[in-house]
Amino acid sequence: MPPFRWPLVEEKMPRLLSVRAVAISVLLSGVATSAFAFDWKAHEGETVSFLSNNNPWSQAVLSYKDEFTELTGITLKVDTYQEQQMRQRLMTVLNSGSDEVDVFMTLASREGRQFAAAGWYADLSDYTQSAVAPEYDFAGISPALVKAATFDDKLTSVPLNLEGPLLYYRTDIFEKCGIAKPVSLDDVRAAAEKVKACESGVTPFASRGLKPAIAYTFSNVLHNVGGTYIVDGKSALCSPEGKKAISYYGDLMREYGPPGAANYSFYQISALYRSGRAAMAFESSNELRTIMEGGERLKDTDVIPLPAGEAGMVPTAIGWGLAISNHSAKKDAAWYFVQWASSPEIQKRLALQGVAAPRPSVAADEEYKAWISEAPVRASWQEALDVLASDGSSEVGYPIVANPESRDYIGQAVQDVLLGQKPVDEACAAADTALDGLIARK
Amino acid sequence: MTHGSTNSQGRQLAALSAPAIVFTVAMIAFPVVYTVWLGFHSFSATGEGSFSGLANYSKLAADGEFWNGLYVTFALYILSMVLQLVAGIYLAMLLFHSKRLSGFLRSLLISPFMMPPVVAGMMWLVILDPSLGAANYILESIGLPPSEWLASPVWVIPTIALIDTWQWAPYVALIVLGGLQSLPPSVYEAAQIDGASSFRIFRRITLPLLLPTIVTAAVLRSVDLLRFFDIIYITTQGGPGNASNTLNIYGFRVGFEFFNIGYSSALMITLSAIVLAAVLVLNRLRNAVAW
Repeated sequence: MPPFRWPLVEEKMPRLLSVRAVAISVLLSGVATSAFAFDWKAHEGETVSFLSNNNPWSQAVLSYKDEFTELTGITLKVDTYQEQQMRQRLMTVLNSGSDEVDVFMTLASREGRQFAAAGWYADLSDYTQSAVAPEYDFAGISPALVKAATFDDKLTSVPLNLEGPLLYYRTDIFEKCGIAKPVSLDDVRAAAEKVKACESGVTPFASRGLKPAIAYTFSNVLHNVGGTYIVDGKSALCSPEGKKAISYYGDLMREYGPPGAANYSFYQISALYRSGRAAMAFESSNELRTIMEGGERLKDTDVIPLPAGEAGMVPTAIGWGLAISNHSAKKDAAWYFVQWASSPEIQKRLALQGVAAPRPSVAADEEYKAWISEAPVRASWQEALDVLASDGSSEVGYPIVANPESRDYIGQAVQDVLLGQKPVDEACAAADTALDGLIARK
Repeated sequence: MTHGSTNSQGRQLAALSAPAIVFTVAMIAFPVVYTVWLGFHSFSATGEGSFSGLANYSKLAADGEFWNGLYVTFALYILSMVLQLVAGIYLAMLLFHSKRLSGFLRSLLISPFMMPPVVAGMMWLVILDPSLGAANYILESIGLPPSEWLASPVWVIPTIALIDTWQWAPYVALIVLGGLQSLPPSVYEAAQIDGASSFRIFRRITLPLLLPTIVTAAVLRSVDLLRFFDIIYITTQGGPGNASNTLNIYGFRVGFEFFNIGYSSALMITLSAIVLAAVLVLNRLRNAVAW
């Protein structure tokens, strides 16, 4: 299956026009009255429980949670965990049919198919049309992200942010070593080689090497060289493009990555780059705030999408979403929190803290533009996000129900090459055998 | 008191304590029975289950990850156990014989096992980071080459064994110290009168007399070591590759990350059987060395 591409502006127009047409007809019908009669206090006194992943979005939005309670009279009970622990708790709760969790954060590109097939998501389609405040503007949320969160015509979550891996690189080191801004994958490798010779105390290139985390960054390389995960219903890691991507990523990390690259995830990468000990870091756009903490990297960093391969630039673009449990006994009140957290006002406020909004309108906001203009790195970050929004692919791992498990096999194949334990042919063949089994599993 | 009233009191006692007994037994038995039941079922990625008999157990035999997990579990078990017993006995002897150690220093020496394993794991993860950690900084500052520690497929098991030894050798030391304090002084007095050296006294008297205590410590540590989880989960998550993927970590990931609850349950039942067998063997050993 080819990677899902974000529609270009021309492709978006008919959809946007149809959405507007529906909106206008709704306004003209009697339903419009209910929209204008929307009452934020309709569920006053109720308590909604929210299972949250401890990431930049949740940290920022929860700092405003008192405002939500003031506006709605709804008490928000928050349980925050690290990503993996949140998922483990969530799956236990959902599988047992418990109504303990009303709202949860979800990554449609990872568990979307699995949770949708299990019937764990409430369908939010009707809520977005009939139970919204006049200022909500659901149509203003990126249609491509909405589509990525829609399974079997059911909207499973409302997009909260836009993110994807970006290449952060040190302009001062590049200048000192006589390296131009990379425009191709080969340039990135050549730059790493030059940095290794020119600045021996600095890690030339850092990216994710921890097995379950590799798929997030590796998928971008695979798509840039023209590969995809499944061809004719079979796993395609051993296709020429698949092997090329595995070799490129594994060799780059082994030869130019940090010592112990096989245990690297976002935490180590951001810490290494922020401390000035890496010349390039291929890490999530979400990490901008963390990387810029302390201000040391504000003036010597440029941010770009991963440069092109044979198939051009196909960046990975995904987003967290806010979903309501199908087992929730308070779906209506839970929707109020979802709506508030994904409203234009809140998403603009979060954007000013470095959480990229899924609403294109935020980029045109004057206050946001002023924030962007404060530092050149923010401008290049926004430009890179624009590329993600226009050309991004949401294929991270295999587009199957067992997507989380597929990421493990991808990670294993890349690690085998990264650690020099297997040649690429052997590594991809072992992964393809296991992945074919996963694809066949219902 | 008549015979009839005694019977009546007995029945009352049984009736009153029955709910507590039933509840306690149910609380212990239910998770085990439920896990066994799950092990006989197969579940789809969406959680739908169907009875599959012994399919999950026959799958174990053909699963390379299972055999790797078994190898890693036992490699870690044996290495950690040897290190912890040696270090624990040494520390116990030190605490027993050194009268000059202050109470504070004694407390400090035995404090690591009071630290939550998650905290210990995070602490060592930072210390052993190959690029930013203190461990390599110290090695390099004394002219030694840096190590990849937890990120090296070769060194990850010894490194985790060392972390666990740092944490649990003091616990072994406390048990051994208790044993040392209960040894009969008359045997030592006789040996000293006969002119035996300190090393000979240790090898010929202390160690044999301590064996039951040492085996008890080994039994207690075996249960933890065979189901080793927390520090590995925090530091490596079973990696790099599968180099530290113990059976417990593997079973957890299969169950909670890949949602294959049936197979995960079969793995856990198998692991429980291994732990039980190890404890039974060590208990027989303890009986054999008892004095």
